Amino acid sequence: MWKYVKWTFRILVVLIVAGFLHYTLPHHDIVRITNTYNRMTTVGSENSWAYASPDTGTAESAVTRDIRFIEAAYDDGSVIVYRNEDTGWVWPPYFKYDSSNLQAEAGNLKSTEAAPKWVSVTHYGWRFPFLSIYPNAVSMKEVAGPDVRIIPYVNIVVLLALAYGLFMLRRMWLQFWERMVEPAVAEVEETWDGVEAQAGAAKARAGGFFGRIGAWFSPKAKPKR
Amino acid sequence: MIAILRTAFFGFIGLTVVYVLVATYSRSVRREKLEKKFDAGGIEGDRDTYIEDGMKAYEHGLKHRLLWLVYIIPAVVVAVTVYLVNYQ
Repeated sequence: MWKYVKWTFRILVVLIVAGFLHYTLPHHDIVRITNTYNRMTTVGSENSWAYASPDTGTAESAVTRDIRFIEAAYDDGSVIVYRNEDTGWVWPPYFKYDSSNLQAEAGNLKSTEAAPKWVSVTHYGWRFPFLSIYPNAVSMKEVAGPDVRIIPYVNIVVLLALAYGLFMLRRMWLQFWERMVEPAVAEVEETWDGVEAQAGAAKARAGGFFGRIGAWFSPKAKPKR
Repeated sequence: MIAILRTAFFGFIGLTVVYVLVATYSRSVRREKLEKKFDAGGIEGDRDTYIEDGMKAYEHGLKHRLLWLVYIIPAVVVAVTVYLVNYQ
């Protein structure tokens, strides 16, 4: 029973972290831009997390605001709609404040099915019709064709940096343990040995107390009883 | 405009926390290394003096100065991101 709880918890944590990274990290679509426009959009409480926060440049109101959109089609005919909003200076850390320029670029790259211009759109976020959320286009450039291979350098670098950060955090924690906690616990135990020799009467209570404190900090030791 | 300052302010606080952690870790690793080197034998003199001298040399060394990269690298990354996203 406990095993299932533990594994469910672990899998949930992995899913949340992976989902968070998948939402935040940039992706590339190779599409043909078909339309650009803005429309008044009401942002509700259920999907406001997927829109720019109210204090960024393009988002004047928290509830209803004019949002720029870019419509596009993939090579296979399926479609995608991007929103085009400033990210501001907090999260996600794209520091995008050129939404107007991007909209102009998108308009300039518009093309028809007969004479397609293929565009690689860098974006983050998800298209989720149920919640009315749209990926945010960050930048775009024209590419040779719909099958161009794009190497996700940013993702590679960010994931490697995150892995390195976690690795270093673990090393720091182990170093802290070895240099600070273990000597302190050893000292407490020595002190306790002295106390034990002198005062037999307080043994049960004091032993439980010090033992418990030691047990908080020790990975292996069980509380002394 | 105020958003940039806010980001800079909280970024500075966050990076200072990282700096303190990394500096403490680096110092601790250096001290452990010195202890182990002395305990391996072959070094004349007092153990504490040897370690304190080694730590002083570390404070003025290149490795200790490289810790400033904790501030410099994120600032450069942000600057490059701003350039690539907005001016390309």
